[in-house]
Amino acid sequence: MIEYFIRIKRNAKPIFRDRWVWQMAWRDGKHNFGRLFLFVASLITGIAGVVAISSLNYSMQNELDRNAKELLGADLVVNSGRPFDTAFLKKIDTAQRQFAQDADMASMVMFMNTRQSRLVKLTALQGDFPFYGDVVTQPANAYALMKTGRYAMLDEALARQYNVSSEDSIKIGNIHFKMAGVVEKFPGGGALTATLAPAVYISLDALDSTGLVQFGSRVNYSLFVKTVSDEDTKVAMETIKPYRDELGYSADDVDERKEELGEGFGSVYRFFSLLAFVALILGCIGVASSVHIYAREKRDEVAVLRCIGSSGWQAFNIYFIQIFVLGIIGSALGAVLGIAIQQVVPIAFGKYLPVELQFGISWRAVAEGVLLGTIISILFSILPLVAVRFVPPLSVLRADFQPGRVFSKTRWAAVILIFLFPVLAAAYQTESFLTGGLFSIGLILALGGLALVAMGLLYIVRKYFPQNSSFVFRHALSNLFRPNNQTQILLVTIGLGAFIIATLNIIQSSLLNQVEFKGNANQSNTILFDIQSHQKDSVVKLIEKYDLPVNQVVPIITCRLSEVKGKPVDQFKRTDADSVRVPNWALTREYRVTYRDSLHLSEEIIKGELHSFKKGKRDSVFVTISEGMHETLRVGVGDSLVFDIQGVPVKAFISGIRKVEWPKDPPNFIFVFPKGVLDDAPQIWVAATRVENQQNAILFQQELVFNYANVSLIDLRLILSTVDELFDKVGLVVRFLALFSIITGLVVLAGAVLNSKFARMKENVLLRTIGARTGQITRITIIEYGYVGIFSAITGLGLSVGAGWLLTKFFFEVQFSVDMLELLIISVSVIALTVFIGWWNSREVISTPPLQVLRKES
Amino acid sequence: MPEIVLQANALTKVYKSAERNLVVLDNVSFDVQQGTSIAIIGPSGSGKTTLLGLCAGLDVASSGHVSLMGFKLDKMNEDDRAYLRNQYIGFVFQNFQLLPTLTALENVMVPLELRGERNVASKAKDLLVRVGLAERFSHYPTQLSGGEQQRVAMARAFITSPRVLFADEPTGNLDDENAKQVTELLFEMNRQENTTLILVTHNLELAEKTQRILQMKGGKLVNERILAVL
Repeated sequence: MIEYFIRIKRNAKPIFRDRWVWQMAWRDGKHNFGRLFLFVASLITGIAGVVAISSLNYSMQNELDRNAKELLGADLVVNSGRPFDTAFLKKIDTAQRQFAQDADMASMVMFMNTRQSRLVKLTALQGDFPFYGDVVTQPANAYALMKTGRYAMLDEALARQYNVSSEDSIKIGNIHFKMAGVVEKFPGGGALTATLAPAVYISLDALDSTGLVQFGSRVNYSLFVKTVSDEDTKVAMETIKPYRDELGYSADDVDERKEELGEGFGSVYRFFSLLAFVALILGCIGVASSVHIYAREKRDEVAVLRCIGSSGWQAFNIYFIQIFVLGIIGSALGAVLGIAIQQVVPIAFGKYLPVELQFGISWRAVAEGVLLGTIISILFSILPLVAVRFVPPLSVLRADFQPGRVFSKTRWAAVILIFLFPVLAAAYQTESFLTGGLFSIGLILALGGLALVAMGLLYIVRKYFPQNSSFVFRHALSNLFRPNNQTQILLVTIGLGAFIIATLNIIQSSLLNQVEFKGNANQSNTILFDIQSHQKDSVVKLIEKYDLPVNQVVPIITCRLSEVKGKPVDQFKRTDADSVRVPNWALTREYRVTYRDSLHLSEEIIKGELHSFKKGKRDSVFVTISEGMHETLRVGVGDSLVFDIQGVPVKAFISGIRKVEWPKDPPNFIFVFPKGVLDDAPQIWVAATRVENQQNAILFQQELVFNYANVSLIDLRLILSTVDELFDKVGLVVRFLALFSIITGLVVLAGAVLNSKFARMKENVLLRTIGARTGQITRITIIEYGYVGIFSAITGLGLSVGAGWLLTKFFFEVQFSVDMLELLIISVSVIALTVFIGWWNSREVISTPPLQVLRKES
Repeated sequence: MPEIVLQANALTKVYKSAERNLVVLDNVSFDVQQGTSIAIIGPSGSGKTTLLGLCAGLDVASSGHVSLMGFKLDKMNEDDRAYLRNQYIGFVFQNFQLLPTLTALENVMVPLELRGERNVASKAKDLLVRVGLAERFSHYPTQLSGGEQQRVAMARAFITSPRVLFADEPTGNLDDENAKQVTELLFEMNRQENTTLILVTHNLELAEKTQRILQMKGGKLVNERILAVL
């Protein structure tokens, strides 16, 4: 017999030219959009998070750019810790430039209407500040009136808090000021600053008469300059340069101020970016999970299509088109939702932002969101959809036919791109490849950890299987490792969801706990500072008169560093290599040091020792330095420092490094000298006490301000409540945005449990057919998903503690803090939700007659 | 002499698993002439459905060859075999295998649309009218009875005027009345279209309506009866 062989000629059409696949995508899709709900929900929540964060950031940047000059009120500002040098003022003064000055300091004011007092930021102004933007006051002429003499203006919130009216007066130092009005808006000052330190404005000429500026008073002087051009600003900045090193002046122009504000919000933005990244990754998992379910449901239909002549790619394209189109729609909806959220954020905490955010749409964020969503829907659906290409047509004859695994280039390309995606997405979100890489490594480690735990669990369950337990218990347990089980995939997906949600919670609670003062009952809550030496004893007596404890009375000496490790500070600043390592501010700042021979309760020595000074024996001076600052100055035990103490050089060696809990029982210090070295140096004193009774506190403050006008008092309770209020609002926004990640996580969880539905459905139907009662099937289901939920929660949360610690320590650089109650709530929620969704999916099997379900299955 | 449309030569199918190799089809050979009808019968597990799958190019043999319309199926990849099925083969299955999200009319149109043909609705409607479903064009499979679903499946199978029609227990899921109607329709259309019919069934009565019966047992072809000469 002659064997003949004819080669077939088949024209494979590309997706855009194959009309049939588009037709089929529409015909099939219109009945299946409900089935793709999980897919669209994952995309919407994931993209909404990303767009909301990006849009907020872009809007903020735009506003900063738009109002740049108003942020400063001038073209440049020079700051100094002491009055400006006359020679400098002459040098910078030209005929064309305009100048204004202010001096600000912390001071007590007494409101004469109620005789209550509080610490404020006293700002004394001179000249026509601001040169850009307006001072908005009520009444409108208040600013002009203030400049005429003994008139003061208050921040609006302060006036409201102390019920101050235009008829009232306030006492600042030794002088009474009449009220000129209230300040609604002041260039350069944000509401955030006003909340933490509300301001009182007077004229600079009136400051001297208050008697507040004494030895040791910490006054910041600012010189505002309006230049004639950008070139002139550069010339002025050059003029200032020599004075930076010589007199410690600092200068900001508009660009620098913008940059500083941007950096200030950098940490918040990074956290928000992380939230967006988490929402995005969860969205990706949701997409992959829901498309996996969808592709599985479509297996039989694909087999029929393959039978009647569809190629693998044609079958793939039908569902790919559906996912692609829905992906664009879902991304667009996500972008719309994100924009809506972005409009809500400023309402919640807009007044704490450095600029007033206008209602606006960031089209860049929208475009990024839609593009990102489309990429995600394509990338993360390809892997599950590739399986469609390899559905064997034989499945139409044998439903349980399982083909061998086929090598697919598309599958491998998708796997590689999927691994790259989190790195690129995180790098884009956090604007750093390193951070992006670290996030992704963390994610891969988490996935690996979850997979290992899942394998270990299955091994343990098999090895120690409770043979003598009840049928229900044994059956539920054996479901975990029987053929076609979904245990590993469920543990990994649900565990990952729990991991991400818990990690987010740990970071959030660590950030929010940063500012909480968790003192014990005896800890100081009221600090009196700027006490002159001659006032010290009488102030202490006053404290005792009101039956208040005197927790601390410590001397403070102001000084600067002139040498570090034998090298003059000037040389550090001039050597590029070194200046990179030691920041300029650490070398030039004014240090407020104290002396004592013991540790304070907030301190412990972590390296070296305390070394007291033996007077008269020509002993060396040994100081201790706080942890953290030794890294900044790059010094260690045994290194030498030379302090310039009001013109007198004092050489000292570092004898130890102290760990300081800064919020605990203030004041705390960077450098502590031993007794006997600085005792005779010019010094001021700080006293700390604890006030419990509010009425007592008011009377004590009144008498203090009345008799010692220069002494200021910080009420930590007031600061704590203000900070708490601020963080409550910021926390609300954080939780609101985290909610999106959590919702996406829940969508993923639902998808993961739905995934296992197919495996369980048939078994439960058979059990029911052979006589299992509703209660038994329900218990089997609950126990099985209960196991999965418990182990997922334990694994996810265990890993999240590790990840949270790493992130808080190395990324956010804040103290690690875990709220165990919240973690417990997350665990219970994950378990309950897993069980609930598992049970919900089995209801169909439980509530319908076996025959009906069997027919449906066949 | 009529053309040979299908030639099976020493077909063997082995399913390999970790524990053992299961031989479900063992060295089966036969050929089929154009326009004839043939029934493959045998008890459950005898390998008849596997044989049908191999002959229709739904799977490939472990050894041996299938030649369909001169094309050697084992030399072709899956997509080429799919193309071949679309060009020359029709299917009728026991559980109908209609696409649940498509209407009856759309189900019938699909094979021609796959070829890239346009305006195929009128041909599909004609066929549906022919199988007695003139009132069911826009019904979905779930809205049709078993007999109606099988008639839609037959219309879908015949719309491409296939050279070979494979039917796997076409009356297996139907009551007697519907089974009778479907059987009559199947043979009538087969005659009119001059299609080669290869039928797998347990039903001897149905098998005896064909011209030739192949009997399978334990994966082997054990008997062949010629009932009528073409």
